[in-house]
Formats: sequence, structure tokens, C-alpha cells
Amino acid sequence: MTDRLAIEDAVRAYGPHAGVLGLSLTVAPGSVQALVGLNGAGKTTLMRAVLGMVRLDAGSVLIDGIPVGAMPAAAWARVGHLLDRPFAYPELDVRANLEVAARLRGLPAQAVPAAVAASLGRMGIGRYERVRASRLSKGNRQRLGLSAALIADPDLVVLDEPTDGLDPAGVIALREALRERADSGAGVLVSSHHLDEVARVADRISVMNRGRIIGALEPAEAELERAFFELVLADDRRHEGDSV
Amino acid sequence: MSGLRAALWVEARKARAARVLHVAAVLLVIGAAVLSASLTAAVEAGNEQIVAKLGQAAGSEGWPLLTATVTQIVAAGAVLTFGLTLSWQFGREFTDGTAYGLCALPVSRTAQVVAKFVVHTVWTLAVAAVLVGFVVLTGLAVGLGRPDHGDPAALGRLLVLCVLGGLVAAPAAVAATLGRGPMPGIAATVGVIVLAQVSVAAAPASSAWIPLAAPALWAMRPDQVSLAQLGLTAVTAVVFAALTARAWSRLELDR
Repeated sequence: MTDRLAIEDAVRAYGPHAGVLGLSLTVAPGSVQALVGLNGAGKTTLMRAVLGMVRLDAGSVLIDGIPVGAMPAAAWARVGHLLDRPFAYPELDVRANLEVAARLRGLPAQAVPAAVAASLGRMGIGRYERVRASRLSKGNRQRLGLSAALIADPDLVVLDEPTDGLDPAGVIALREALRERADSGAGVLVSSHHLDEVARVADRISVMNRGRIIGALEPAEAELERAFFELVLADDRRHEGDSV
Repeated sequence: MSGLRAALWVEARKARAARVLHVAAVLLVIGAAVLSASLTAAVEAGNEQIVAKLGQAAGSEGWPLLTATVTQIVAAGAVLTFGLTLSWQFGREFTDGTAYGLCALPVSRTAQVVAKFVVHTVWTLAVAAVLVGFVVLTGLAVGLGRPDHGDPAALGRLLVLCVLGGLVAAPAAVAATLGRGPMPGIAATVGVIVLAQVSVAAAPASSAWIPLAAPALWAMRPDQVSLAQLGLTAVTAVVFAALTARAWSRLELDR
């Protein structure tokens, strides 16, 4: 079966030590792939490259077997994403923002009300339906952004730090939503700093450092944090050794 | 162009709720009406400074004086207003952080740009119609009676001038996209106004061929500007819209 996402030897360098510096990764249908790493490890750059927001210097990104640069516009309807800030126009209320997100993701007008209703329920923001996004708390804006990303039931989900600002109920709602997407055959790529949260939702955890994948963690591992830092510190020592 | 219909719906929905667009329109319409009524009253009262500032226009009276005064105000005011709103339409996607959400969609970036320009043009047309309506009401309120003879034509030119002001502001969209925020677009708008004024002063004989200046010249002296010269303004706007679409399509969100 074709991988939902296949990244091969991807390079997007911002100097010798920043960006994505030769990285391969796959996300299979039905799986949740987590990326963990310290700030500046290259996680966000990788996700931007996946979504065509930045062009690679070398390597390739394929979504359902199609190179990102050659994706027909309609194929992007099967991709949901949240990077940087939630997709929310401050002057629009929650419902209008979700309607905008649904139309931009190619849903026909008649399918929008049902999609919006399902989306409001999925992330628990139904009671803010008529509240302008500018008046939402950070956590509820994040819920809105996640709802927008998932509104068209995408086959590939790409989320950068999705639990940012979420309360415990929001984290659980997100976890259930991602599991539901994966169980429906979608591939999910998610980045996070929070190892415990990642361990609860991911099938695979890849550790990124200095623009490369340096190892994997077992989600069921008891000492996840220790194992993570051992990998990162070993990689840092190796690089320091190389530069001496 | 994929997803144009959806893009148009989205941009229209955003415009309906956009306070910036509403406030800018109110300021232009009310400002032009109040200012023109005041200037007209000042000319009729014999204020020499205002007469000197208005030049040829001050030689007329009644409706011709009012429409000539509004035309002078709108010539620069419409470009400034619509340059500001166009800058905001494009630049706010960066400052509000929504530019990321506009990538990787079945609605192409070109369709998004075309939709923004279509909504912008429809908006300028609506504002122009309201502005002309307010001018008519102002004229009636100050006792000018019903417009007759050449007055409806002057009011028609005012409406077209207002719409062309929106087209002249097109460089603001490129600047806001390349500069990733409304401010570069606003700076470009001020640049357009200055450039138009300087070029008219420097080369008055050929200034009708300058697309940024032709609409104002035509509105004030319609016999001195040809349709081809006026059409050049529309062509220039299309060129800047195409440049915006190119910039938007090639955009890399790496900062």
C-alpha cells in the first residue's frame, strides 16, 4: 500500500546546522507518526516542506505517491494541517471560520453545515459557535484551528505542536480525533515537545536533532524522557567531536 | 484556476465582516461629502485661500463647483482609501498568521488572489455608488436644487474615478505580499499618489499617458484624456494583479 507520506533524503538548509539536513521518513495509512525534538531541531521546517510552503534544496516529498510539487490542486483536499498559528480570522465567529475552512478544503456548499456541526462537536467548541475568534482564549483558538484542519476528514494530517495551549480535555479530544482519523486509514504526522502526550497517541516516535532523524522511541517505554535525552546528547557529542 | 468559486465565497464572507473595509469606506464617503460641502461654502463666501487652492474649479458655482471640489478630493482620497484596504486584504494574512492556512489547499493561490481583487473591485464600486449618492444628498441639502445639464455626467465621472482609484491602488497588493504585511502596501500607496502628482507637475503635456494620473485628469478635464489613455490604467491594474498572483504563488513561508 502506498504510504500517505514519504520523505526521502530531504534537505532544506539554513546554514550548516539549521533546517532539514538529509532526512527520510514515511507515514503509513492508519498510523500516527510523531516527531519529537528540541527547539530548532528542524521539525517545523520539515512540515513546511511537506506542505509545499518551502521548497527543498534536495530530496523529495510524496503524498499518496505524488510529488508535492506536482500535486494537482484537488489532491490537497485530502490533506489537513495546522502550522504556526491556528487558521482563524479574528473578525469571524467560530462557525464562520469553520465554514471558510470547509469551503477552502473543497467541500461543496451543501456539505458544509454537516461538516461544521461535526467539527464543533469533535473538539468541544459548540458553545462558542457565535463567538468571534478574537474573543476566544488561546486554547479555544487552538481547538478552532484543529477543527479547521480536520473538517474535511483528511487522509493525511500534519500538525505542528497541536497541543499548544490546550487544556487536558482538549488534549484528550485531540487524541481521540487523531485516533479516529488513523483508524479510518489516514496517516498522521504530529510534532510535539511533550513526550507523554506523544506516547499516548503515536504508533511511532522519531527523534529529530540538528535537522536529521537520530533514532526512535518506543511509545510504551517507561523512561521515555531519559531515552530521548540520551539520543539527543549522544548526537550532540558526536557533532562536537566532528567539529573539533 | 482551481477553486475560484470557493475563493470568491470566502473573500466575500471575510469582507462582509471586515471592520477595516467598513471604517475606510465611511471615512472616504463622509469625509468627501463634508469636506466638499465646506470648500464649496468657503468659495461661495469668497475665501481667497480656498479659491487659490481649488484653481480652475473655483471659477464655477452650484453643482459644477461641488462636483469639481469632490472630484479633487476623491482623486487622491480614493487611491489612499482603497490602497489601504487592499494592503490590509493581502497583508493581514501574514500579520494574522492565516497565510499558512491558505497553503496546501485545493483552492489555488492564484484563485485566492483573483478572488481578493474581484471582491476589492466590487467593494470599490459599492463605495463609489454610496459616495455619489452622498454627494447628491449634500448638494440638495445645501440648496443647489436638482442636478441638470452637465451635472449628471460629472457625477458619473466621479463614480468612475472612484472605481479607477481602486485600480490605481493595485501596486499595494504586490507590496503587501512581498513585504508580508499591510505597511509596505500602505507605503506603496503613498508612493503611487506622490508619483502621480510629481509626474503631472513634471510633464503636464504627457501626463494623461501616465496610468496612475490619467483617472484624476480625466475626471477634471474629460476632453483632454482619451479612452485609450484611461484604458491604460485598467491594463496597469491587471499587470499588478498578475504580479501579485505570481508573488503569492511563489511565496515561501519560511519566516
